[in-house]
Amino acid sequence: MSARDNILSKIREARSSAPQNVPAAPIANYLALHQRGPSPPPPDDLVTGFKKRAIKLSSDVLETSVRMEVPALLAHYLEERKLPLRGVCWTSLVGLPWGAAGLEMLPNPATNQDMVGVTGAFCAIAETGTLMMLSGAETPASTSLLPETHVAVLDPLRIVATMEDAWDLLRLEYKQPPRAVNFISGPSRTADIEQTVTLGAHGPYRVLVILAPP
Amino acid sequence: MENKVRVGFFVTCLVDSMRPHIGFAAIRLLEAAGCEIVVPAQQTCCGQPGYNSGERKSTVSMALKFLSEFEEFDYVVLPSGSCAGMIRVHYPELFRGDPELQQRFTSLAKRTYELTDFLVNVAKLENVPGNFKGTLTYHDSCSGLRELDVYNQPRALLAKLPGVKIYEMVESTTCCGFGGTFSVKYGELSTRMAENKCQHIAAAGVDAIVGGDLGCLLNIEGRLRRTGDHSTQVLHIAEVLSGLDKDK
Amino acid sequence: MQNKAIDFKRQVNIKLADTKLQDALSRLQTRFVEGRSAVISEIHHLEDTRTAAAAIRDCVLNDLDSWLQKFEQQAIAHGAIVHWAETATDANRIVTEIAAQHNVLTAVKSKSMVSEECGLNDALEHAGIKVMETDLGEYILQLAHEAPSHIVAPVVHKNKEEISDLFAEKHQMSRKTGIAELCLEAREILRPAFLNADMGISGANFLIAETGSVLIVTNEGNGRLVTTLPRVHVAITGIEKVVPTLEDVTTLLRLLPRSATGQSITNYVSVLTGNKDAKAHDGPEHFHIILLDNGRSSLIGGEMQEMLRCIRCGACMNHCPVYQNIGGHAYGWVYPGPMGSILTPLLSGLKSSPDLPNASTFCGACAAVCPVKIPLPDLLRNLRTRQMALGLKSRQEVLMLKVWGWLTLHPRIYALATKIGVRILAMMGGERHLLHTLPGATGWTDGRDFPAPSGKTFREMYRKKSTK
Repeated sequence: MSARDNILSKIREARSSAPQNVPAAPIANYLALHQRGPSPPPPDDLVTGFKKRAIKLSSDVLETSVRMEVPALLAHYLEERKLPLRGVCWTSLVGLPWGAAGLEMLPNPATNQDMVGVTGAFCAIAETGTLMMLSGAETPASTSLLPETHVAVLDPLRIVATMEDAWDLLRLEYKQPPRAVNFISGPSRTADIEQTVTLGAHGPYRVLVILAPP
Repeated sequence: MENKVRVGFFVTCLVDSMRPHIGFAAIRLLEAAGCEIVVPAQQTCCGQPGYNSGERKSTVSMALKFLSEFEEFDYVVLPSGSCAGMIRVHYPELFRGDPELQQRFTSLAKRTYELTDFLVNVAKLENVPGNFKGTLTYHDSCSGLRELDVYNQPRALLAKLPGVKIYEMVESTTCCGFGGTFSVKYGELSTRMAENKCQHIAAAGVDAIVGGDLGCLLNIEGRLRRTGDHSTQVLHIAEVLSGLDKDK
Repeated sequence: MQNKAIDFKRQVNIKLADTKLQDALSRLQTRFVEGRSAVISEIHHLEDTRTAAAAIRDCVLNDLDSWLQKFEQQAIAHGAIVHWAETATDANRIVTEIAAQHNVLTAVKSKSMVSEECGLNDALEHAGIKVMETDLGEYILQLAHEAPSHIVAPVVHKNKEEISDLFAEKHQMSRKTGIAELCLEAREILRPAFLNADMGISGANFLIAETGSVLIVTNEGNGRLVTTLPRVHVAITGIEKVVPTLEDVTTLLRLLPRSATGQSITNYVSVLTGNKDAKAHDGPEHFHIILLDNGRSSLIGGEMQEMLRCIRCGACMNHCPVYQNIGGHAYGWVYPGPMGSILTPLLSGLKSSPDLPNASTFCGACAAVCPVKIPLPDLLRNLRTRQMALGLKSRQEVLMLKVWGWLTLHPRIYALATKIGVRILAMMGGERHLLHTLPGATGWTDGRDFPAPSGKTFREMYRKKSTK
């Protein structure tokens, strides 16, 4: 017998001798329900709630009502921090006036040399101040991972209240999950040395969320 | 209370042999609360030492003995959170396979109380007879705290004594390291935990450390005295509340 | 990993005397205990959430074979390859074979306690594969040739001076003293390793049956790098980690980081499903999942099954007064603290871990904070009962319990024995009413006086009083 069969039959045998272990319902029924556990009440305002949480987790948040102003906002942010004015962006963002703002943004997946990575986001979650990113051909995961600065341009209408709402949105818009769903909640950090939090471990040192309409 | 309730008093083996006056102190409090007290003469031990060491057989016999002695009372009261926890939480578990006995033990469990819990939540004692004057800090013994939710009860009763000032120590709910046979089997570890507790007591700067379980108190007292502190009083809550704090 | 729990008692004394360790352990209180307490109350219905979390885990464990098959089916459907390993040795062999199959020379690892359980690094090195730990704590330990002492904060036992010395020696660079500088140095050394590795090895915090996904929570980003850059990804985890749906895993996610590190959420939560498709720029071409039994199935259906609910948050050890005083290494195997005191005997042998079930005061602090409500003291007590039944207790202890049990069931003799006993002890206590030494209880009297009894028993006094 294979290891698989051995393990499964061991479990089955142990289960049958334990009368209390009666499966509640067939698995298919259980899965179809997508039953939610206790979840937090939605914030009064999703955008305010998201911002509050994101900032608490050391993300920076900027807002504009004019999408075309995103490059200028970013340029100002980078200049203020004396960061490089060039980087890579998702292809969906290539049409923004980067050059006019003095930025050089190439529509490539990030490599180790790229210092700034600009992405969109599938949605964001107010409950935890989290960006939800889906990997894909046009939405490479490396752009939010390798550069020291990760910038996410987020449509404020894509902020949902809870993690469960985010899963529902995913199911609504995609038939199956992408290779990687990443929840990003602030810059990478470690507290392994003396339990002292240090920002910028192996991933980005800073995460900037720019709220802008599509 | 309207009608005089009959309380079966279980003194616990530790109070019985080590500090008998705590038993009398508890009885004085229960009488002050208007209860009729009965002390079954053949009582010995609740069985916790054996149970926690993995010896179930004799524990079952002790539980049955306890049931036969205490089932008749309206309530059963003990001056110890860990023994009360044994009866309330663990006795019924021992008889899972026997519905009739389990039902009787569950009924007994519902009527069994740690002393301060009973005084506050059942007897609703208003006038506390004690006359302690000074500062004290309270150590929350583990079983009482986590199995029976005893935290506010002793503090509420102490607050009724005008001469008492409570200074909370840090980590009052952290284990003192007693743990029954643990205190002997893992002496160094147990001593370190007691030492940590003693440092918190010292930092609180009080006249007395008070608790509801004699095992913890003996452990704390033993460490305080060994390290040269002969002045901090170590008192059971019943002693402070009753005013009866000397062995005769 | 070899079980050294037999040495527990000796290790305890060493650890208690280790002032550097004691200093390091004091940080548990501020960082983890206070950290948890600050964010756990953010959960609006905490008790309901814990109950729901326990129910989710139970639901899977009560029907584990079906859920595993559902997970497997979904994982395969999305392009993952699922392997089953009965023992640690099997798991090591499978990883080595995968490496050989894909011509792997170098591997980067994110933190995995299951791989520690297997001793995977040694097995891979033996097969000629260079493995690099990338979680900062695990990386430090790999350099120092030490085992983790905590399941979440593996290097909690070391202070930054020791790490400075270690880095200076191993990296052959100038000695850094600031924590941020040390982190940067590790980042710069490890970044090329991520970029060049052939294989990434990770654990899994959860397996999601609905989608066949592996879920990983990390803070450093190394988990993402390990599962994104190399062309092969191997996730190795225990068979008990299955959770039915994304909703269920969300309930557990609300509890896990809060219980573990006092964070409302970890920086990264990655849900990984299948391998990359042809058009994608990143992601592994091959995604292998190894499901390890290693004794877990023997817990199913029995009185210890609740232990399999464990989601490895470490809250039980953070709050354990025993762990707080001795750290994790004294426990002798992979998992320390209360959960380890149960898992080590169960997965690695009760006979070789005689102290672990007993080195607890049953204070219950662990169970009070467990996010999935594992009744840890009850399970420890079950193990003590097993030790008794299997004759693994010392003769002296068994005899004492027998005598005590017999006495308590014979009240008259009990009364006589206690009457005599308390008189002798009272006499021995002298004027100060303290015994400085007590034969048979030196464990007590080595560090504490034994307060003497007052000389009479309550029962004799009460009888005298009531017959007056």
